[in-house]
Amino acid sequence: MSGHSNKLSPYLFVSPAILLFAFTVLVPIIMTFAFSFFDWNGIGAMHFIGLDNYARAFQDRIYLRSYGHTLIYIAATVFVEVLVGLGLAGLITMGRKGSGFFRLAIFTPMMLPMIVVSYLWKFVYNSDFGLINSFLTKIGLESWTRVWLGNPDTALYAICIVSGWVYAGFYMTIFYSGIQRISKEIYESAYLDGATEWQIFFKIKVPMIRNLVETGIMLCVLTGFQSFDLFYVMTNGGPYNSTEIVTTYLVKVVFTHMSIGYGSALAVIMTLVIAIIGLVAGKLTKKDSDVLEY
Amino acid sequence: MTTTALNVNKTVHSGEKAARRRKLSGILYYLFMIAISCIYFYPIIWLVLSSFRENRDIFSSPFGLPEQIRFRNWSEAWNIGNMSTYAKNSVIVTSATVVCILLFASLAAFAFSKLRFRGSGLLMTLFLLGLFMPLQSFFIAQSYIFERLSLKDTYLGLIVPYIGTGLPLAVFLLKAYLDSVPKELMEAARMDGCGDFLMYRKIIVPLLIPSMATVGIFSALNAWNELLLAMLYIQQDALKTIPVGLLAFSSRYMTDYKLLFSALALITLPMIVVYISFHRFIVTGLTEGALK
Repeated sequence: MSGHSNKLSPYLFVSPAILLFAFTVLVPIIMTFAFSFFDWNGIGAMHFIGLDNYARAFQDRIYLRSYGHTLIYIAATVFVEVLVGLGLAGLITMGRKGSGFFRLAIFTPMMLPMIVVSYLWKFVYNSDFGLINSFLTKIGLESWTRVWLGNPDTALYAICIVSGWVYAGFYMTIFYSGIQRISKEIYESAYLDGATEWQIFFKIKVPMIRNLVETGIMLCVLTGFQSFDLFYVMTNGGPYNSTEIVTTYLVKVVFTHMSIGYGSALAVIMTLVIAIIGLVAGKLTKKDSDVLEY
Repeated sequence: MTTTALNVNKTVHSGEKAARRRKLSGILYYLFMIAISCIYFYPIIWLVLSSFRENRDIFSSPFGLPEQIRFRNWSEAWNIGNMSTYAKNSVIVTSATVVCILLFASLAAFAFSKLRFRGSGLLMTLFLLGLFMPLQSFFIAQSYIFERLSLKDTYLGLIVPYIGTGLPLAVFLLKAYLDSVPKELMEAARMDGCGDFLMYRKIIVPLLIPSMATVGIFSALNAWNELLLAMLYIQQDALKTIPVGLLAFSSRYMTDYKLLFSALALITLPMIVVYISFHRFIVTGLTEGALK
């Protein structure tokens, strides 16, 4: 082997990764695109129907509404994940004793399998013995009790809260390490000048990790489209499609209605929407190259 | 003289006030943080406590404590729920996935970061888009391909797509790390007559080990938790992983709460124990990945 870079070797290095990625992701995306022009149940004959599946998609009320739900979910998660995470990071870095323990406690839900989280919170929200209704009854707010996941007005928000329960700890940890990197001298001089904890949080900590917060929001938006498990296990889109998000509806179309062609069209539309958001987000984050999403 | 005395008096006074205020804010701080910690931790404790109780006790007093710590519920859930099989399958699938991701991603990250070749920009862009594509973008055709190749109902049927979907993030993180490694290191090795393969083995891999820990954690969590493909591709009970096994179990024993709680507790506790013993490592791993 010579000391020079071999012309062929870069391709040898990337090929296992590229081939596996192409085989499991790229080729299926292209094939899904092809399937979307057919009327097909996956077993019988395929009938070419042109853009009919797409026309149907744009008239499908449930599908269009599922984008609305996904957007509400994303907006809510920015709140309950990123902003709560930021607030908690501010509290944790106040330099009081015991912050290590609080950090551990708040991060723990991240380590639970999503399926466990989903079932656990189904129990927490249970109207008969769930923690929330029992607690409300105990403190005399019986009138506030609800069938949280069975009520179209509350089900979506109930799931957003669970998302916050899981991921706020993740963002807290990221922001925590960002704040830890701020030089101690800045704090010391601020304390000497008589700054309060609030001022230090809003005037020093948050501005110093602004890039990280922006990245967190971006990450939240982009991964919001990928959520599935939580919704699938907790409500599977119900009640009355009130928690139907793009991914759960798609899976339902394919599984329950056996419409491969129509499901493929829905998948293509979703892929395009995400690609556009991804490209825009990529342009926006390019400027802070020192911080990478994830 | 008098003015100094007055000043001293004043500072003492305001010092007392500040101390009192600090004490009050400290109390508020701890009350708030304890409340938050309860919100985060209590449901998990509740899960474990309820798993030791009888169905009617869970029902009549949700906040109650178990009368005694009996593991009968657990062994029942373990046996009825086929948990040992599911756990074994999850371990096999996850470990194979992580090993392959680390190997393939480190090779690719090396080429993308340190070697020049045609098409590298385009290939990297494709990988980056792959970062944000949900499984739902491609599972329809993937399922069709896997059916055709008889990959369904095999371990490979899960391992292969888990590697493929895990690679973008892994390549991205490892490349980001290698980009921060100075070129001079590679050039020096080149001068000493080091070829690409030798460079990968002797320089890149040792450099990447800390980042590989991060990538390994991410990949393992994803593979361990994956539900949709596991649900689609595995019908045989003997090959099901924990998430699908649990799904099947819960639809069969929907109203036997103590069994469900026990099954959930059984799956959760090892994860919590691993997390509490390695949390320093896990948390630094995750944040290093994010801050690189």
